[in-house]
Amino acid sequence: MRILIAVILACLGLSAQVVQESFGRDPGPLDFIRGEGHEQAILQSLTGDSLVGVDTQGRVVPRLAERWEIDKGRLRFFLRKDARFGNGRPVGPDDAVWTIQAIQADASASPTKRDILAGVKARSLAAGLELESDRPPARLLLELARVPIAQKGEAGQGSGPFTLARKDGEWLLTARPHFLHPQIPGIRFRLIGDEQAILQNLQKGWLSIGVPPPRRGLKPPASHTEFRLATQAQLLVWSRIGTAALKGLERWRGEALPQDFFGGRASLSRGLWPEGLGFSVQTIQGTCPIPAGQRWEILYAAGDEPVEKLMLALRERAKKEGVDLEPRPVESSILFERLTKGDFQLACAINLFDPHPWSVLDLLIPQGSLNFSGWAHGRLASILPKLQDLRTPAWEELQALWAERPGCLPLLDFQGCVWVDRRLKVAPGPLGLYLTTPGAAGWSWQP
Amino acid sequence: MKRLSFLLQGWMVWGLALVAAWLLPGLPRGAAQPPEFPWNVLPATVALLMGLVLAALVAAWLLGPRAARARSLALWEAPPDLLWGGLTLALWPAAWGPPGKAAWALAFLASALPSEIRWLCQALPGEYPFPALWGERAQRRMRNLALRTLAPRWIAVRLPLWLTATLVLERILAVRGLGSDWMTRVAVQDRVGLALWILTFGLLWTLAQRRQP
Repeated sequence: MRILIAVILACLGLSAQVVQESFGRDPGPLDFIRGEGHEQAILQSLTGDSLVGVDTQGRVVPRLAERWEIDKGRLRFFLRKDARFGNGRPVGPDDAVWTIQAIQADASASPTKRDILAGVKARSLAAGLELESDRPPARLLLELARVPIAQKGEAGQGSGPFTLARKDGEWLLTARPHFLHPQIPGIRFRLIGDEQAILQNLQKGWLSIGVPPPRRGLKPPASHTEFRLATQAQLLVWSRIGTAALKGLERWRGEALPQDFFGGRASLSRGLWPEGLGFSVQTIQGTCPIPAGQRWEILYAAGDEPVEKLMLALRERAKKEGVDLEPRPVESSILFERLTKGDFQLACAINLFDPHPWSVLDLLIPQGSLNFSGWAHGRLASILPKLQDLRTPAWEELQALWAERPGCLPLLDFQGCVWVDRRLKVAPGPLGLYLTTPGAAGWSWQP
Repeated sequence: MKRLSFLLQGWMVWGLALVAAWLLPGLPRGAAQPPEFPWNVLPATVALLMGLVLAALVAAWLLGPRAARARSLALWEAPPDLLWGGLTLALWPAAWGPPGKAAWALAFLASALPSEIRWLCQALPGEYPFPALWGERAQRRMRNLALRTLAPRWIAVRLPLWLTATLVLERILAVRGLGSDWMTRVAVQDRVGLALWILTFGLLWTLAQRRQP
């Protein structure tokens, strides 16, 4: 009997346990219109609902919209009746239309959301709303999962499964009645900027979830289990000095370091585009001999340890072919400014692709946010309209076009690693732990 | 007139700092929102800094200028802030839960106090042969006067450095404080926020000059 009571008390205690988490940097105030960045996206996914979600298998699933239909390229969403904002007001089509139009109208709105909603026309209907865009509906649906809806006129009010409160410099998220039925009582985020401090917090059991520093041989404590998450993050190198440099780097990237050098946290890239997005491994077409005595400067963000190691290894490999590859570390915002202006010979930066193939289009289209090399091709315009779904053969045609003379080349493929308390049942998806549906609302404590 | 010229020179430097903040180079990837100012940490920070000021002044008053060359003080001063933060985190018992503001305050005092004591002791005028030969009372009175003159200038000079020290400890000990706020504003290039920070520093410096000749 005593044992039974002890077990019941333990279960009750566990079910009331708040998940302890950390932010690497301050997410800023919760704002569904202007908020930007990974930490802000986590807060928004917990306190807000998008029209549709992406589940752990990468499929589009209902969220605020209980169903949708595609009619002549238009997306019509039918909203659920039981969704309410944190202040109790029901969510209506006007809120969704207002959110979309506010993001489009505000020059300081989130750049990511502005890119997603560029050219989208929204209008409310009696039971929902209709979106019209020149993008394929399959793409727009996947991208809309990243646009949570705010209450009309209240950029900080969402309808998500948790409510946010700030206390003593911490972010406390408390579960509320919601159609996703959150099973954990809440999540507490502390600001821990130092990765060694995160490791110590994990080892002492003060964090339920945390990303350990990228070190070889690091094992989780007995209280935690390790999850390896497939991410579409790559270290890309852009070239402003032609394809010959990328052709050389394509060869050297496979020879400069052993494949397991980064201890499972990163691997040397093989193709031109992320394999995780369904692209086959392809090489740069043709031969581009590198004249000896070349001197190339390659910019990269200072302080990124794996990147620094790779740069040094590439420098030594390039020397064997008489090329003086000069890695130059620069502050990340200066690197981004130089990338944007095209003021570089070669430049490296980490990019996280969205988990759908359309995300590579940013490398190719003239206004693409990743087209730093000024890439253009006469046949691109004829291929773009064919990219209507995930399975079309036009994707191979597009990759072949890129392979003729690419503007950039991936060097490293990163893999996510997260330690999670063994008692916490989570379900990682292609967008990580939080940004999928149901996300944190689907977590539960297991006795 | 002399004081006005001195203040003008100082404000030229603060003006240059403002220009530098306004012309921060680079373009942050993804325009993140500036953070909310951590008002909640302000009382604790002010209390902590007052504690540091009082402790350093009392220690300097008791130890006198000879302490500036003391080996024990140099030994205490040598480890970087990182070590004090890491040590606190490593030694904090797991069962007590994560360390908060109290541990942060302890680590800050441990890291900042020796430098401040040495700074003050080094700035104190020599006491040999006089006023030491005039007796202990004269010696203490001399230290009193010297420290009263030194204190505002010392605070104005060291305040930005204390902020840097807290930043390191905040990152390690998970305290959302003034150092993190300053650094986040630099990262997101919040020019207005940085300008307000610099103006506050400038104002404190101006107030600290009231006792200067």
